[in-house]
Amino acid sequence: MEEQKQKTAPTSGGSSGGGKISLRPLQLSDVDDFMVWATDPEVARFCRWEPYTSRDDGLAYIAGTALPHPYFRAICLDGRPVGCLSVTRNEDRMEACRGELSYALGSGYWGRGIAAEAVRMAVAEVFRERPELERVEAIVYAENKASQRVLEKAGFTREGLLRKYVVIKGRTRDAFMFSRLSTD
Amino acid sequence: MEGVDLSAVSLRPFRISDADDFLSFAGDDQVTRFMRWNTLASREEALATIRDVCMPHPWRRAVCVGDRCVGFVSIWPGSGDDRCRADIGYGVAREWWGKGVATRALRMTLSQVFGDLPDVLRIQAFVGADNKASQRVLEKAGFTRDGLLRKYAYLKGTLQDLYLYSFLSTDVVPAAAD
Repeated sequence: MEEQKQKTAPTSGGSSGGGKISLRPLQLSDVDDFMVWATDPEVARFCRWEPYTSRDDGLAYIAGTALPHPYFRAICLDGRPVGCLSVTRNEDRMEACRGELSYALGSGYWGRGIAAEAVRMAVAEVFRERPELERVEAIVYAENKASQRVLEKAGFTREGLLRKYVVIKGRTRDAFMFSRLSTD
Repeated sequence: MEGVDLSAVSLRPFRISDADDFLSFAGDDQVTRFMRWNTLASREEALATIRDVCMPHPWRRAVCVGDRCVGFVSIWPGSGDDRCRADIGYGVAREWWGKGVATRALRMTLSQVFGDLPDVLRIQAFVGADNKASQRVLEKAGFTRDGLLRKYAYLKGTLQDLYLYSFLSTDVVPAAAD
């Protein structure tokens, strides 16, 4: 169990295709890097959000969502943000055992194992930081095969298909439930 | 042989006058054991629950045999992106277990609720992995078991594995065995 000088010292891990992957909080000064994946329709395709069109919206997201979030990290390759991920925290005592993982990676970095490594690192870190957390889950739309592969590579278990689970961009979608336990 | 005329089972909104019947099952630890509810301890609590929770509820019905309230069914719809899905919960007084009452109440619910809540396309139920009786009720009413959600939530102090079951507006309620 490593000692961290600051609560949010960067987490470093493996490398992929010649780059070193690390996680650190996303800052307002990262907005231009953020806009690379946030404006990308390939990235937004299976997400609830539409591609961003304005830098001000990017700043608003970082300030309003990323900065105050209980666990929000930039996925960095050689120190530069190329994506992001987050794990929710439930305040209700009966649900605090569970957190939901979301992530996005710039499409130029797909297919190199970066997202899977970032997810592995993040899950390990959040289980260390939150002793009450037993389960990290992810809900992935049935058409999003790439994201399902990321979770399988990151050691998640596919628990089932949830039919007509959620409305995204005006259409009802089937989704897979994946999870990883602190004991897995 | 089930021992009750299931055509006497009906669903209706709760009334203040259901308080004593409500207390008799909502005050029973055996009934509330698998539920989020704390067991009710008094007629006053029963009255308050009917007035403050049951009556303003988006969709909660008293399950009746004749005019006597013997249980409940609740449907909690989601909002926003989650508006296509709703959670179902139900409970029946112990003396009415094993007679097909809960299954009948669920079948009736499934035939009504999609018309009442037109945004809802999926009804889902979370059931404890050890709650075999409730799993059978859902299966007989035509629910599909989607999967086992491991260490999903606490129930009365114990971390639970929960089965998730679902029934879609396009699914068909199977013909009754009786």
